[in-house]
Amino acid sequence: MEFEFIVDGFPARIGLEKKGDGFVIREGESVFEAGIRTVAPDEIAVLAGGRRRRIFLARRGDSIFVSVDGRTYTLETPRPDSGRSASGDDPSIEGILRVKAPMPGKVIKIAVAEGEDVRKNQTLVIVEAMKMENEIKSAAAGVVKKIHVAVGDLVDSQKPLVEVETKTL
Amino acid sequence: MMEPRLFRKILIANRGEIAVRVIRACREMGIPSVAVYSEADAESLHVRTADEAVPIGPPPAVESYLDMERIVAAARQTGAEAVHPGYGFLAENSEFARRCEKEGLVFIGPRSEAMELVGDKVRARRAMEKAGVPVIPGFNAVQGSAGEYEAAARKLGYPVMVKASAGGGGKGMRIARNAEDLGPAVDAGRREARSAFGDDSVYLEKYIEDPRHIEFQVLADNHGRTVHLFERECSIQRRHQKILEETPSPALSPELRRTMGETAVKAIKAANYNNAGTVEFLLDAGGRFYFLEVNARLQVEHPVTELTVGLDLVQRQIRIAAGEELGLNQEELRQRGHAIECRIYAEDPRNGFLPSSGRIELLREPAGPGIRLDSGISEGWEVPVYYDPILAKLIVWAENRDAAARRMAAALEDYAILGIQTTIGFLHDVVGHAEFLAGRTTTSFIARNFEAWGRDNENDESRRLAMAAAAFAASGATGRPRDTGRAAAKTATPWISLGRWRIGGGGSHGV
Repeated sequence: MEFEFIVDGFPARIGLEKKGDGFVIREGESVFEAGIRTVAPDEIAVLAGGRRRRIFLARRGDSIFVSVDGRTYTLETPRPDSGRSASGDDPSIEGILRVKAPMPGKVIKIAVAEGEDVRKNQTLVIVEAMKMENEIKSAAAGVVKKIHVAVGDLVDSQKPLVEVETKTL
Repeated sequence: MMEPRLFRKILIANRGEIAVRVIRACREMGIPSVAVYSEADAESLHVRTADEAVPIGPPPAVESYLDMERIVAAARQTGAEAVHPGYGFLAENSEFARRCEKEGLVFIGPRSEAMELVGDKVRARRAMEKAGVPVIPGFNAVQGSAGEYEAAARKLGYPVMVKASAGGGGKGMRIARNAEDLGPAVDAGRREARSAFGDDSVYLEKYIEDPRHIEFQVLADNHGRTVHLFERECSIQRRHQKILEETPSPALSPELRRTMGETAVKAIKAANYNNAGTVEFLLDAGGRFYFLEVNARLQVEHPVTELTVGLDLVQRQIRIAAGEELGLNQEELRQRGHAIECRIYAEDPRNGFLPSSGRIELLREPAGPGIRLDSGISEGWEVPVYYDPILAKLIVWAENRDAAARRMAAALEDYAILGIQTTIGFLHDVVGHAEFLAGRTTTSFIARNFEAWGRDNENDESRRLAMAAAAFAASGATGRPRDTGRAAAKTATPWISLGRWRIGGGGSHGV
């Protein structure tokens, strides 16, 4: 069987084939065998390479949270009606990077102006949350198309802050 | 057999893991405890742990945990006789300590004058210089003009560090590597200091490149006895804030440990300081050390000292505040074994450690020999956006450093907090890193070794295992995998096929 997930925002595909007592797991070039079993409603044990791992899972809405060795991943399944992926409405595909607030907070500084050229990793906005200043950076080089917020605004997580028209796709 | 109660009742003017920690100490001492909580914390663990709980206002800290009137009123209302401030919030606010003194409440911490002196970083620097304690070269003006800061920085030589005079916890700190950086660094330092401490005074220090951050825990009773409880190494930091602490430090020789310990005691005496406190130093590559500041509070990392020295620091604080004599001799104190603490923050290490908030959907906590968890969270609880993102601290003890690092790695593997981002996976990789195991832990450790951590998603083994587990769960449980082939599986939505989220019952194949 093959499964598609959106893992932390990026599409990924994994194959799982039964083989004897275990499974053959295939992702891209990588192939390995593992024993997998359910040990509790929110825990799966995977034995691979002689090492047993406890993998914990939880769900919220369409998101599945999975933790392995303390690392957590957010998995979503692609919407069946979307031609592309769960983030099929992601406008970055059209060359517009929509920079969103990663957490709720207060806008305390806007470091760029509309029409300004920005470098990758350039600070666009500073949002204060949990008593710290957080610099929200551009993931790509481009031109600032639109600024959606003003200094002093309280923003929710995922609220669009700035749109950057990216230079290369 | 029961000894008389030291206090009738103690109010804990804090929240989260530290409030839970202090409540536990009270319970062990037979002293009833009172929690206070903001509207955002009504369901919090500390509220559920204390004997009584009093609401003190809306979520923003200035209207609740930082509101002295409401906290004093809560103490009055419940008949508390003493107040433990934890760390952060009002812990190092000398006005609050004075207010408690005036109200006849015992403040569990240093006297207000001692706190005032060490809380003013600039005054403390001057007092230490006078006592012959080595300090970092700096510029002691705090409300200088842009021109004055610039001239001072040029004289000190770049890079310089902008620091909040009322500072602590890495807040209000900025590095300026050149004159162009300085203005924005001072501005940002001021803004953050105002928001965190209500005081925007900043001063400059020469920036010491890549030092180690070594601090000494001290206890001083009200009868003139001062001892130190050895060092903690706290060099592993992100945005100037500690994330992992350990003791003993792999960098100290017995001679250096003795010299630094004696200097710490000297600094504490120079400040006429009492109760528990910590003297922070920077140690440079050449083995020179400089006084940084005195932290006039119980620190986040106090458990590593507790585990190696065998004392309960919170209980000691309470006893000192009640007027008991320390009854400890420096010569009798010993460090035993090795302890490491990992701070579990609600932050995303893959995204510049941005804070993360939301509901904790699942919580699994590690346990075992030598493992201690100081936690302030529970499953189903919503991490609020109003406060520091610390959730819990995982502390391990073992006979030596290598064993402690291995124990920590295993404990972190058993730790799951799902629904938000945390530092657990990041810390797991830190304690397994060759540079960490070799003891090369200076303040640039994270920048040097973990700059792009977790961003190279493609070759990430744990990501692949996470997907395999999710796919397995989605495949309709053990024993009957359906080989539906590519085309069919592509349109299948595993979670819908599962109905409500449930992983099937017991597996039939051995693992």
